[in-house]
Amino acid sequence: MENNVKTGTLSLDVLDVDGAIRETAAAVAGDTRARFLAKAGLLGGGLVGSSALLGLNPATAGAQSATRDIAILNYALTLEYLEAAFYTEAEEMAPLSGELALFTRVVAKHERDHVKALKAVLGSKAVKRPRFNFRGTTEDAAAFAATAQVLEDTGVAAYKGQAPRIKSNAILAAALAIHTVEARHASWIRDINGEDPAPTAFDEALSMREVLEAVAATRFIVAPRRRRRRRRPQQTPTFTG
Amino acid sequence: MKVVLRRGGLTVAAALAAVLASVTPAVAQEAQEDFQLSRPSEHMWRWAFVERATGARAYPAEDAPVVAGVRTRTPERTREMLPLLERRSVDGQLWVRARLPVLPNGTTGWVRRDRLSGYTTVRTHLIVDRARFTARLERKGRTVFRARIGIGERRWPTPRGSFMVRNRLAGFNDPVYGVLAFGTTARSATLTDWPGGGFIGIHGTSRPEILPGRVSHGCIRMRNADILRLDRRMPVGTPVSVR
Amino acid sequence: MSEPLTLDLLDKDGAIREALDEGMQSTRAQLFRRSIIGGGTFLAGGLLIGGLPKIALGAPSAKQDVEILNFALLLEYLESEFYIRAVDSGALNGDARLLGFARTVRDHEVAHVNFLLSALGDAANPKPTFDFKGTTEDASMFRATAIVLEDTGVAAYNGQGPRLTKGTLAAAAQIVSVEARHAAWIRRIVAGPGYPNRPGDYPAPAVLDKALTKAQVEAAVGRTGFITG
Repeated sequence: MENNVKTGTLSLDVLDVDGAIRETAAAVAGDTRARFLAKAGLLGGGLVGSSALLGLNPATAGAQSATRDIAILNYALTLEYLEAAFYTEAEEMAPLSGELALFTRVVAKHERDHVKALKAVLGSKAVKRPRFNFRGTTEDAAAFAATAQVLEDTGVAAYKGQAPRIKSNAILAAALAIHTVEARHASWIRDINGEDPAPTAFDEALSMREVLEAVAATRFIVAPRRRRRRRRPQQTPTFTG
Repeated sequence: MKVVLRRGGLTVAAALAAVLASVTPAVAQEAQEDFQLSRPSEHMWRWAFVERATGARAYPAEDAPVVAGVRTRTPERTREMLPLLERRSVDGQLWVRARLPVLPNGTTGWVRRDRLSGYTTVRTHLIVDRARFTARLERKGRTVFRARIGIGERRWPTPRGSFMVRNRLAGFNDPVYGVLAFGTTARSATLTDWPGGGFIGIHGTSRPEILPGRVSHGCIRMRNADILRLDRRMPVGTPVSVR
Repeated sequence: MSEPLTLDLLDKDGAIREALDEGMQSTRAQLFRRSIIGGGTFLAGGLLIGGLPKIALGAPSAKQDVEILNFALLLEYLESEFYIRAVDSGALNGDARLLGFARTVRDHEVAHVNFLLSALGDAANPKPTFDFKGTTEDASMFRATAIVLEDTGVAAYNGQGPRLTKGTLAAAAQIVSVEARHAAWIRRIVAGPGYPNRPGDYPAPAVLDKALTKAQVEAAVGRTGFITG
């Protein structure tokens, strides 16, 4: 079963559907903070609103803390969008039976609920749901099971990589609560696949860059086509009339 | 308090390949029954873009005869879209049976899944009743739009069958097509030399006074106000049933 | 060391599970009473509210890390001893899958102990003595206890996470996900081939994993009577 999966160099174009991730990644690095804050409307009155939502006191919490937490939440939301869409599509389309079908139903519900929770926290700051093409991995049982394992392991490593960078205790607690659920998913599908559920004594973290590279390499996230804002005159139809 | 953290970044391809190689028959496939990608009785249809030009074949095998070539672009230079019927896995390769925008109308063929984009689902359905000169749009089985239409003259009939709205053109300057034109996958069986292939459109008109009736070269015409109303409710990809 | 209290751990829906539920309910009530600004935490996502632990007061510090890591060390000593003795007793020899689980998890927990010992150095608390009350000598008691221990370990680490300094948190995060993998693994073994009907028995029973406070975990562990000195 071919999957068109390639290892890739960093290419955020496919992943970065409306520039939000690129901006948030830059914000995390801190080098375009002022530009990001201005663009995201987080300066002035906007900052108070978002900080309150995150449980921060704007007087004491730095602008950068709220910004970074928002960026991390949106990163998590993007991964959860992907997982939720992947499992939901497999529920519908993949020839699954027995325990694999049960796993898919249970995990699909979890991931959809993770999406809901993260969107509720982010409010208007939430990135939009991307378009996906799962390239057959939701339509074939073996490809699905293999892909699910990789996605879950990657999700665990992604949350782990961000946990120490989260400023708000509330956000951190939520991230930790999701992190171990993803680890349970990973263990479960590994066991179903006949792999070691817990292959090592310590799980490793992945940086945001490493995870985004891995996700971009799958080509699951598809850049939306721009709306037809014609720069050239519209071609006259040639329909029979 | 450091624990060893660093290793190379995750290589998804390698990880997938390793797992695929070791996944055992414990992950068994279900018996090979075609999966229905479109289910009209549930008011659900799927389509996909053609991402790579390919041959649509008589049956799902690389050496099956090609029924028709499928390209990535329509004559209007929009992205080609195919209405999808069933999906089947053959020797670990996924194939999809799609309706093809070729003559004779109603032709289908098997296309490799990896030549297509991700699927889009639509719940709307345009039903054209030639005898009554009406077009009706349903969403999830409920009528949400109705209009009187013009159809092809008897010598250039609007063909019967199952088709799909495959593009939408606006901002052009030809009153014959009114303010807005939708292209479909239906072809005129008589105007086979028409430039652009003789595809049947659904569009507005500069002459509403001649509707309803058999007035066109095959296209479905409606008043401009109606086509604008339809535009608000009908996404590209909507299946069209001409009865 | 906590004083051992009596508890019949043969009851599968026992004290630790109650503690896990209690933790969730009191957390929710507390959160609704808190204000938004000034250390309060209130999130719009209803799902997240239920999953949050009490937010501890006091800023993270190296001193507090030591206290928390010693707490983690206690739990890892408990788990590693439990698995060491279960494997050595031969009680699991009739079930290859269960034995394989116990051996692997034993090795992991020993590795966790060793890591915590090296992190704590002279500040490490001494190893306690244990009496596992027969749960390491009978396969079905072992299975039930293992589920509770692993689930509790996850809840304990998640509860402490926000209290740790960031460097220590990074390390703890590497451990807690492995405990979660253990938990899912033993749950799947217990479910067996006729797959479980109750969502509460699934490898991943909930959308969010609960967190417990240190006091809640210490109380629950105390009630088992496993720690004798």
